[in-house]
Amino acid sequence: MQDAHSGQDWRAWFAEHGARLRLIARQWTRSEADADDVLQEAFVRFWKHQRHLPGNPNALVVTSIRRSALDLLRRSDRRAVREKVVGDDMETVTWFEPEADPRLAALADSLKLLPDEQREVVVLKVWGDLTFDEIGEQLSISPNTAASRWRYAMEALRKHITARTHD
Amino acid sequence: MTDPDHDIEQALASLRPRAPSPALTARLAHELDAPASRRGVIIAWSAGLSAVAAALVAAFVFLGGVAEPEAPTYRLVHVEQTRPDVQYFRPVQMEDGSYARPLRVRWQDTTRWEDARGNTRLINYRPNDQFALLPIETN
Repeated sequence: MQDAHSGQDWRAWFAEHGARLRLIARQWTRSEADADDVLQEAFVRFWKHQRHLPGNPNALVVTSIRRSALDLLRRSDRRAVREKVVGDDMETVTWFEPEADPRLAALADSLKLLPDEQREVVVLKVWGDLTFDEIGEQLSISPNTAASRWRYAMEALRKHITARTHD
Repeated sequence: MTDPDHDIEQALASLRPRAPSPALTARLAHELDAPASRRGVIIAWSAGLSAVAAALVAAFVFLGGVAEPEAPTYRLVHVEQTRPDVQYFRPVQMEDGSYARPLRVRWQDTTRWEDARGNTRLINYRPNDQFALLPIETN
């Protein structure tokens, strides 16, 4: 992620990090199309104006994604019809590449079943590569709260997987 | 001591998020690979003109010094370029089917040299009026 500070081509950088950034955008949005819109807006802003800023570029780009996602959510509050449509999208589109291992497949499915507040901590820690301190800053919660949500999420995922693999 | 969450975290990390679609990459390219701005075009022209002016000055000073030792020795003291006036026109279709937007840029260059010994000045004033075509990307 440090390479964002250099004059690296955006395509190479996006090819390396785009998938996990899109997952971060996806878990804060209600549809695939919204995730694309959010990531486009956030990445263009980051690449043009923020990547040379001091600090962790990883946190900067996540902040940019969150800002775009929140803006879109506020706008979409006035789009009741579209929300109805995208509700179905959550059920049919997978967030990950298909997995042959049934345990991993169960884990991928289980992630979407977590409460939003737990899922965003998991996504930011695993794919955002952020610390609990940084997650706390992103979500305006304390690091202890972030860590607590993480523990609840791990416990819930473990239960989901155990139940699924015993079915 | 083993962290009980470690296995789950490792398993999560091994999941591969879906790659962004080619359509999204194309949209990013549209925004991040934009053609040179009009400011860039003007700067490029200015740089070219400055180089030509510098070469002319160098040649003038050099030839003057060799051919006539008693001739005035002019020294560059002032260069001014006015703010460009950019005028855009309606897009036009090119022979190859692509579109471009014509633009007209006008500005003035003023360069002044002085010979301290003879107390003489040489002023070059040049109005510029150029046309260019900016390619337009269409979807």
